[in-house]
Amino acid sequence: MLRQSALAQGLVRCHVCGHLHPLAKNRHARHCKVCGGLLHARRPHSLQITLALLISSYALYIPANIFPIMTVTQLGMTEIHTIIGGIFALVEKDMAPIAVLVFVASILVPLLKLLGLSALVLHVHLRWQGNTRWWMRIYRLIVFVGRWSMLDIFMISILVAVVDLSGGVSHVIAGPAATAFAAVVVLTMIAAKSFDPRLIWDNHTAL
Amino acid sequence: MPPLTACPECDLLLKPADLITGEKAVCPRCGYLLHRAREQSIERVLALSIAGLILAIPANFLPLIGIRFMGNSNESTLWAGAVSLFGQGLWLVAVLVFLASIFIPLLNTLLAFLISVHLHFNRPHPHLAHWLRWLQHLEEWAMLEVYLLGIIVACVKLSDTADVHLGFGLYAFVAMLLVNAMLTTSLDEVLFWQRIAELDRKKHA
Ligand SMILES: [Zn+2]
Ligand SMILES: [Zn+2]
Repeated sequence: MLRQSALAQGLVRCHVCGHLHPLAKNRHARHCKVCGGLLHARRPHSLQITLALLISSYALYIPANIFPIMTVTQLGMTEIHTIIGGIFALVEKDMAPIAVLVFVASILVPLLKLLGLSALVLHVHLRWQGNTRWWMRIYRLIVFVGRWSMLDIFMISILVAVVDLSGGVSHVIAGPAATAFAAVVVLTMIAAKSFDPRLIWDNHTAL
Repeated sequence: MPPLTACPECDLLLKPADLITGEKAVCPRCGYLLHRAREQSIERVLALSIAGLILAIPANFLPLIGIRFMGNSNESTLWAGAVSLFGQGLWLVAVLVFLASIFIPLLNTLLAFLISVHLHFNRPHPHLAHWLRWLQHLEEWAMLEVYLLGIIVACVKLSDTADVHLGFGLYAFVAMLLVNAMLTTSLDEVLFWQRIAELDRKKHA
Protein backbone atom coordinates (compact mmCIF):
# COMPACT_ATOMS: atom_id res chain seq x y z
CA MET A 1 0.00 0.00 0.00
CA LEU A 2 3.01 2.28 0.21
CA ARG A 3 4.47 4.15 -2.80
CA GLN A 4 1.02 5.69 -3.21
CA SER A 5 -0.35 9.08 -2.37
CA ALA A 6 -2.43 9.44 0.78
CA LEU A 7 -5.29 10.81 -1.31
CA ALA A 8 -5.34 7.64 -3.46
CA GLN A 9 -5.80 5.68 -0.22
CA GLY A 10 -8.68 7.92 0.88
CA LEU A 11 -6.63 9.81 3.47
CA VAL A 12 -6.17 13.55 4.01
CA ARG A 13 -3.09 14.98 5.70
CA CYS A 14 -3.73 17.98 7.97
CA HIS A 15 -1.49 20.70 6.52
CA VAL A 16 -0.81 22.15 9.97
CA CYS A 17 -0.01 19.24 12.30
CA GLY A 18 0.42 16.38 9.81
CA HIS A 19 -2.26 14.12 11.30
CA LEU A 20 -3.96 11.77 8.75
CA HIS A 21 -7.74 11.71 8.55
CA PRO A 22 -10.11 9.60 6.41
CA LEU A 23 -11.49 11.52 3.43
CA ALA A 24 -14.88 13.10 4.14
CA LYS A 25 -17.79 11.33 2.46
CA ASN A 26 -19.84 14.48 2.05
CA ARG A 27 -18.50 17.74 0.74
CA HIS A 28 -18.63 19.62 4.02
CA ALA A 29 -15.36 21.10 5.24
CA ARG A 30 -14.05 19.49 8.39
CA HIS A 31 -11.58 20.51 11.02
CA CYS A 32 -8.59 18.51 12.27
CA LYS A 33 -9.32 16.94 15.65
CA VAL A 34 -5.73 17.49 16.83
CA CYS A 35 -5.07 21.13 15.92
CA GLY A 36 -8.38 22.50 14.66
CA GLY A 37 -7.01 23.40 11.21
CA LEU A 38 -9.27 23.18 8.17
CA LEU A 39 -8.86 19.87 6.31
CA HIS A 40 -8.51 19.63 2.56
CA ALA A 41 -6.70 17.02 0.46
CA ARG A 42 -5.27 19.70 -1.87
CA ARG A 43 -5.30 23.47 -1.38
CA PRO A 44 -8.69 24.59 -2.76
CA HIS A 45 -8.49 26.48 -6.09
CA SER A 46 -4.69 26.38 -5.87
CA LEU A 47 -3.99 27.10 -9.55
CA GLN A 48 -6.66 29.81 -9.90
CA ILE A 49 -5.48 31.73 -6.82
CA THR A 50 -1.81 31.41 -7.79
CA LEU A 51 -2.58 32.62 -11.31
CA ALA A 52 -4.65 35.60 -10.10
CA LEU A 53 -1.83 36.69 -7.78
CA LEU A 54 0.72 36.22 -10.57
CA ILE A 55 -1.22 38.42 -13.00
CA SER A 56 -1.46 41.16 -10.34
CA SER A 57 2.28 40.85 -9.72
CA TYR A 58 3.14 41.15 -13.43
CA ALA A 59 1.00 44.30 -13.60
CA LEU A 60 2.68 45.85 -10.54
CA TYR A 61 6.16 44.88 -11.74
CA ILE A 62 5.90 47.61 -14.44
CA PRO A 63 5.29 50.67 -12.15
CA ALA A 64 7.81 49.20 -9.71
CA ASN A 65 10.51 49.56 -12.37
CA ILE A 66 9.36 52.78 -14.08
CA PHE A 67 8.62 55.09 -11.13
CA PRO A 68 11.27 56.46 -8.77
CA ILE A 69 11.95 54.30 -5.73
CA MET A 70 13.73 57.08 -3.86
CA THR A 71 14.76 60.73 -4.10
CA VAL A 72 18.05 61.79 -2.53
CA THR A 73 18.63 65.47 -1.74
CA GLN A 74 22.13 66.52 -0.75
CA LEU A 75 23.25 70.15 -0.38
CA GLY A 76 20.50 71.36 -2.66
CA MET A 77 21.16 68.75 -5.35
CA THR A 78 18.31 66.33 -5.98
CA GLU A 79 18.80 62.88 -7.53
CA ILE A 80 15.85 60.68 -8.48
CA HIS A 81 16.53 56.93 -8.54
CA THR A 82 14.58 54.08 -10.11
CA ILE A 83 15.49 50.53 -9.06
CA ILE A 84 17.80 50.11 -12.07
CA GLY A 85 19.13 53.68 -11.69
CA GLY A 86 20.14 52.92 -8.11
CA ILE A 87 22.11 49.90 -9.31
CA PHE A 88 23.91 51.95 -11.99
CA ALA A 89 24.74 54.59 -9.37
CA LEU A 90 26.39 51.88 -7.26
CA VAL A 91 28.45 50.70 -10.22
CA GLU A 92 29.62 54.25 -10.92
CA LYS A 93 30.74 54.62 -7.31
CA ASP A 94 32.91 51.47 -7.64
CA MET A 95 30.63 49.42 -5.44
CA ALA A 96 30.20 46.58 -7.91
CA PRO A 97 29.73 43.72 -5.38
CA ILE A 98 26.88 45.59 -3.66
CA ALA A 99 25.45 46.48 -7.09
CA VAL A 100 25.39 42.77 -8.01
CA LEU A 101 23.69 41.94 -4.69
CA VAL A 102 20.97 44.56 -5.21
CA PHE A 103 20.57 43.49 -8.86
CA VAL A 104 20.02 39.86 -7.83
CA ALA A 105 17.58 40.72 -5.02
CA SER A 106 15.58 43.45 -6.80
CA ILE A 107 15.60 42.49 -10.49
CA LEU A 108 16.66 38.88 -10.99
CA VAL A 109 14.81 37.18 -8.10
CA PRO A 110 11.38 38.81 -8.67
CA LEU A 111 11.59 38.15 -12.42
CA LEU A 112 12.67 34.51 -12.01
CA LYS A 113 9.98 34.05 -9.37
CA LEU A 114 7.27 35.37 -11.72
CA LEU A 115 8.48 33.27 -14.66
CA GLY A 116 9.11 30.16 -12.52
CA LEU A 117 5.67 30.23 -10.90
CA SER A 118 4.04 30.83 -14.31
CA ALA A 119 5.87 27.77 -15.67
CA LEU A 120 4.77 25.69 -12.66
CA VAL A 121 1.11 26.68 -13.12
CA LEU A 122 1.32 25.88 -16.86
CA HIS A 123 3.12 22.62 -16.12
CA VAL A 124 0.31 21.39 -13.86
CA HIS A 125 -2.56 22.82 -15.92
CA LEU A 126 -1.36 21.51 -19.29
CA ARG A 127 -0.06 18.25 -17.75
CA TRP A 128 3.40 18.70 -19.19
CA GLN A 129 5.52 15.64 -18.63
CA GLY A 130 9.10 15.87 -17.55
CA ASN A 131 11.40 15.36 -14.63
CA THR A 132 9.22 15.80 -11.55
CA ARG A 133 12.18 16.25 -9.23
CA TRP A 134 13.40 19.10 -11.43
CA TRP A 135 10.05 20.93 -11.16
CA MET A 136 10.12 20.31 -7.42
CA ARG A 137 13.56 21.95 -7.26
CA ILE A 138 12.20 25.05 -9.05
CA TYR A 139 9.30 25.22 -6.59
CA ARG A 140 11.59 24.97 -3.54
CA LEU A 141 14.00 27.56 -4.94
CA ILE A 142 11.09 30.01 -5.46
CA VAL A 143 9.86 29.50 -1.90
CA PHE A 144 13.39 29.91 -0.52
CA VAL A 145 14.44 33.09 -2.37
CA GLY A 146 11.13 34.99 -2.12
CA ARG A 147 11.84 36.88 1.11
CA TRP A 148 15.27 38.15 -0.02
CA SER A 149 13.65 40.57 -2.49
CA MET A 150 12.66 42.70 0.50
CA LEU A 151 16.31 43.82 0.67
CA ASP A 152 15.74 47.04 -1.31
CA ILE A 153 12.66 47.98 0.74
CA PHE A 154 14.48 47.50 4.05
CA MET A 155 17.50 49.42 2.79
CA ILE A 156 15.27 52.36 1.82
CA SER A 157 13.51 52.32 5.21
CA ILE A 158 16.93 52.60 6.90
CA LEU A 159 18.13 55.37 4.57
CA VAL A 160 14.90 57.34 5.03
CA ALA A 161 15.25 57.18 8.82
CA VAL A 162 18.97 57.92 9.12
CA VAL A 163 19.51 60.42 6.29
CA ASP A 164 17.34 63.17 7.71
CA LEU A 165 19.77 65.96 8.48
CA SER A 166 18.57 69.34 9.61
CA GLY A 167 18.67 72.50 7.50
CA GLY A 168 18.07 70.63 4.24
CA VAL A 169 21.67 69.37 4.23
CA SER A 170 20.61 65.89 3.24
CA HIS A 171 17.49 63.77 3.19
CA VAL A 172 15.98 60.76 1.43
CA ILE A 173 12.35 60.41 0.37
CA ALA A 174 10.90 57.06 -0.66
CA GLY A 175 9.05 57.05 -4.01
CA PRO A 176 5.86 55.44 -5.31
CA ALA A 177 7.77 52.51 -6.85
CA ALA A 178 8.50 51.32 -3.29
CA THR A 179 4.82 50.55 -2.74
CA ALA A 180 4.51 48.76 -6.08
CA PHE A 181 7.69 46.78 -5.52
CA ALA A 182 6.73 45.78 -1.96
CA ALA A 183 3.35 44.61 -3.32
CA VAL A 184 5.12 42.47 -5.96
CA VAL A 185 7.26 40.80 -3.28
CA VAL A 186 4.30 40.09 -0.97
CA LEU A 187 1.95 38.94 -3.75
CA THR A 188 4.53 36.53 -5.23
CA MET A 189 5.24 35.14 -1.74
CA ILE A 190 1.51 34.49 -1.26
CA ALA A 191 1.32 33.06 -4.80
CA ALA A 192 4.12 30.59 -3.97
CA LYS A 193 2.29 29.63 -0.78
CA SER A 194 -0.99 29.14 -2.67
CA PHE A 195 0.61 26.76 -5.15
CA ASP A 196 0.18 23.17 -3.95
CA PRO A 197 3.34 21.19 -4.88
CA ARG A 198 1.42 17.91 -4.56
CA LEU A 199 -0.32 18.80 -7.83
CA ILE A 200 3.02 18.23 -9.59
CA TRP A 201 3.02 14.64 -8.33
CA ASP A 202 -0.70 14.03 -8.93
CA ASN A 203 -0.12 15.12 -12.49
CA HIS A 204 2.74 12.68 -12.85
CA THR A 205 1.06 9.60 -11.33
CA ALA A 206 -2.33 10.19 -12.97
CA LEU A 207 -0.95 9.25 -16.38
CA MET B 1 -4.30 0.07 10.74
CA PRO B 2 -0.76 1.11 11.78
CA PRO B 3 -0.23 4.86 12.23
CA LEU B 4 0.81 6.40 8.93
CA THR B 5 1.95 9.81 7.78
CA ALA B 6 2.09 11.52 4.42
CA CYS B 7 4.72 13.77 2.88
CA PRO B 8 3.46 17.41 2.92
CA GLU B 9 5.00 18.21 -0.48
CA CYS B 10 4.22 15.08 -2.56
CA ASP B 11 1.52 13.31 -0.47
CA LEU B 12 3.40 9.99 -0.49
CA LEU B 13 1.98 7.64 2.15
CA LEU B 14 4.71 6.72 4.65
CA LYS B 15 5.31 4.76 7.82
CA PRO B 16 6.54 7.24 10.43
CA ALA B 17 10.17 6.61 11.31
CA ASP B 18 11.08 6.17 14.96
CA LEU B 19 13.97 8.57 15.20
CA ILE B 20 16.58 8.89 17.88
CA THR B 21 18.08 12.31 18.61
CA GLY B 22 20.17 13.69 15.78
CA GLU B 23 18.65 11.45 13.12
CA LYS B 24 16.54 12.77 10.28
CA ALA B 25 13.86 11.32 8.04
CA VAL B 26 13.68 12.31 4.36
CA CYS B 27 10.84 11.59 1.92
CA PRO B 28 12.07 8.83 -0.44
CA ARG B 29 10.13 10.28 -3.38
CA CYS B 30 10.66 14.06 -3.32
CA GLY B 31 13.48 14.50 -0.78
CA TYR B 32 11.48 16.66 1.66
CA LEU B 33 12.95 16.77 5.17
CA LEU B 34 10.10 15.12 7.09
CA HIS B 35 11.50 15.19 10.59
CA ARG B 36 14.73 15.90 12.38
CA ALA B 37 14.78 14.77 15.99
CA ARG B 38 16.27 17.49 18.21
CA GLU B 39 17.88 17.12 21.57
CA GLN B 40 15.88 18.73 24.42
CA SER B 41 13.80 20.66 21.93
CA ILE B 42 11.26 22.04 24.43
CA GLU B 43 13.86 23.22 26.95
CA ARG B 44 15.99 24.84 24.23
CA VAL B 45 13.01 26.66 22.72
CA LEU B 46 12.02 27.88 26.18
CA ALA B 47 15.50 29.23 26.96
CA LEU B 48 15.98 30.79 23.52
CA SER B 49 12.56 32.45 23.51
CA ILE B 50 13.28 34.11 26.88
CA ALA B 51 16.63 35.35 25.51
CA GLY B 52 14.88 36.58 22.34
CA LEU B 53 12.25 38.52 24.29
CA ILE B 54 14.91 40.22 26.43
CA LEU B 55 17.07 41.12 23.40
CA ALA B 56 14.06 42.57 21.56
CA ILE B 57 14.04 45.61 23.86
CA PRO B 58 17.54 47.01 23.06
CA ALA B 59 17.26 45.81 19.44
CA ASN B 60 14.11 47.86 18.90
CA PHE B 61 14.89 51.04 20.81
CA LEU B 62 18.65 51.58 20.75
CA PRO B 63 20.22 53.18 17.64
CA LEU B 64 21.23 50.73 14.92
CA ILE B 65 23.44 53.07 12.90
CA GLY B 66 24.32 56.75 12.94
CA ILE B 67 25.82 59.13 10.39
CA ARG B 68 27.83 62.33 10.55
CA PHE B 69 27.92 64.65 7.55
CA MET B 70 29.20 68.22 7.42
CA GLY B 71 28.81 68.79 11.13
CA ASN B 72 25.30 67.33 11.26
CA SER B 73 24.59 63.96 12.77
CA ASN B 74 21.62 61.63 13.07
CA GLU B 75 20.88 58.17 14.45
CA SER B 76 18.24 55.64 13.53
CA THR B 77 16.50 52.81 15.39
CA LEU B 78 14.53 49.83 14.08
CA TRP B 79 11.32 51.67 15.01
CA ALA B 80 12.35 54.85 13.20
CA GLY B 81 12.57 52.96 9.87
CA ALA B 82 8.88 52.09 9.83
CA VAL B 83 7.80 55.37 11.46
CA SER B 84 9.53 57.67 8.97
CA LEU B 85 8.13 55.74 5.98
CA PHE B 86 4.70 56.26 7.54
CA GLY B 87 5.48 59.95 7.89
CA GLN B 88 6.23 60.18 4.16
CA GLY B 89 2.81 58.76 3.32
CA LEU B 90 3.97 55.30 2.23
CA TRP B 91 1.81 53.59 4.84
CA LEU B 92 1.59 50.27 2.97
CA VAL B 93 5.38 49.90 2.87
CA ALA B 94 5.61 51.18 6.46
CA VAL B 95 3.17 48.52 7.69
CA LEU B 96 5.05 45.81 5.80
CA VAL B 97 8.43 46.89 7.22
CA PHE B 98 6.91 47.08 10.71
CA LEU B 99 5.40 43.58 10.42
CA ALA B 100 8.46 41.86 8.89
CA SER B 101 11.15 43.48 11.05
CA ILE B 102 9.45 44.14 14.39
CA PHE B 103 5.99 42.71 15.01
CA ILE B 104 6.09 39.19 13.55
CA PRO B 105 9.57 38.26 14.90
CA LEU B 106 8.41 39.44 18.35
CA LEU B 107 5.06 37.64 18.09
CA ASN B 108 6.79 34.41 17.00
CA THR B 109 9.18 34.55 19.95
CA LEU B 110 6.26 35.19 22.31
CA LEU B 111 4.27 32.27 20.84
CA ALA B 112 7.31 29.97 21.10
CA PHE B 113 7.69 31.03 24.75
CA LEU B 114 4.02 30.42 25.60
CA ILE B 115 3.98 26.98 23.92
CA SER B 116 7.27 25.74 25.35
CA VAL B 117 6.54 26.95 28.90
CA HIS B 118 3.23 25.01 28.90
CA LEU B 119 4.81 21.87 27.42
CA HIS B 120 7.77 22.01 29.81
CA PHE B 121 5.54 22.17 32.91
CA ASN B 122 2.95 19.76 31.42
CA ARG B 123 0.21 22.34 31.68
CA PRO B 124 -2.61 21.89 29.15
CA HIS B 125 -4.07 25.07 27.66
CA PRO B 126 -7.05 25.37 25.30
CA HIS B 127 -5.04 27.60 22.91
CA LEU B 128 -1.83 25.53 22.62
CA ALA B 129 -2.75 24.15 19.18
CA HIS B 130 -3.80 27.61 17.94
CA TRP B 131 -0.51 29.12 19.05
CA LEU B 132 1.59 26.50 17.27
CA ARG B 133 -0.57 26.83 14.16
CA TRP B 134 -0.02 30.59 14.09
CA LEU B 135 3.70 30.14 14.69
CA GLN B 136 3.94 27.80 11.67
CA HIS B 137 2.01 30.22 9.46
CA LEU B 138 3.93 33.33 10.50
CA GLU B 139 7.43 31.88 10.46
CA GLU B 140 8.32 32.89 6.89
CA TRP B 141 7.08 36.48 7.39
CA ALA B 142 9.74 37.28 9.96
CA MET B 143 12.64 38.68 7.90
CA LEU B 144 15.35 39.72 10.35
CA GLU B 145 18.19 38.26 8.26
CA VAL B 146 17.03 40.16 5.16
CA TYR B 147 16.82 43.32 7.25
CA LEU B 148 20.42 42.83 8.39
CA LEU B 149 21.53 42.61 4.77
CA GLY B 150 19.56 45.83 4.18
CA ILE B 151 21.50 47.52 6.99
CA ILE B 152 24.81 46.36 5.47
CA VAL B 153 23.91 47.66 1.99
CA ALA B 154 22.70 50.98 3.46
CA CYS B 155 25.98 51.36 5.41
CA VAL B 156 28.08 50.75 2.29
CA LYS B 157 26.02 53.28 0.32
CA LEU B 158 26.30 55.89 3.06
CA SER B 159 30.02 55.36 3.69
CA ASP B 160 30.64 57.00 0.29
CA THR B 161 29.56 60.44 1.51
CA ALA B 162 29.14 60.37 5.29
CA ASP B 163 30.81 59.02 8.43
CA VAL B 164 28.91 55.90 9.47
CA HIS B 165 29.09 54.48 12.99
CA LEU B 166 27.41 51.37 14.36
CA GLY B 167 25.15 51.67 17.39
CA PHE B 168 24.67 49.34 20.35
CA GLY B 169 21.21 48.47 18.98
CA LEU B 170 22.86 46.79 16.00
CA TYR B 171 24.74 44.34 18.26
CA ALA B 172 21.49 43.56 20.10
CA PHE B 173 19.75 43.14 16.72
CA VAL B 174 22.37 40.64 15.48
CA ALA B 175 22.15 38.73 18.77
CA MET B 176 18.34 38.66 18.49
CA LEU B 177 18.63 37.40 14.90
CA LEU B 178 20.99 34.56 15.94
CA VAL B 179 18.76 33.59 18.88
CA ASN B 180 15.68 33.53 16.61
CA ALA B 181 17.49 31.43 14.00
CA MET B 182 18.59 28.94 16.68
CA LEU B 183 15.03 28.88 18.02
CA THR B 184 13.64 27.99 14.58
CA THR B 185 16.11 25.12 14.11
CA SER B 186 15.61 23.82 17.67
CA LEU B 187 11.82 23.60 17.37
CA ASP B 188 10.92 19.96 16.64
CA GLU B 189 7.39 20.38 15.25
CA VAL B 190 6.61 16.65 15.20
CA LEU B 191 7.51 16.39 18.90
CA PHE B 192 5.56 19.57 19.77
CA TRP B 193 2.38 18.28 18.08
CA GLN B 194 2.78 14.89 19.81
CA ARG B 195 3.11 16.54 23.21
CA ILE B 196 0.13 18.85 22.57
CA ALA B 197 -2.03 15.83 21.61
CA GLU B 198 -0.83 13.96 24.74
CA LEU B 199 -1.69 16.88 27.02
CA ASP B 200 -5.10 17.15 25.34
CA ARG B 201 -5.81 13.44 25.94
CA LYS B 202 -4.71 13.70 29.57
CA LYS B 203 -7.05 16.63 30.12
CA HIS B 204 -10.05 14.72 28.72
CA ALA B 205 -9.22 11.43 30.48
ZN1 LIG C 1 -4.16 19.12 12.36
ZN1 LIG D 1 7.64 13.69 -0.54
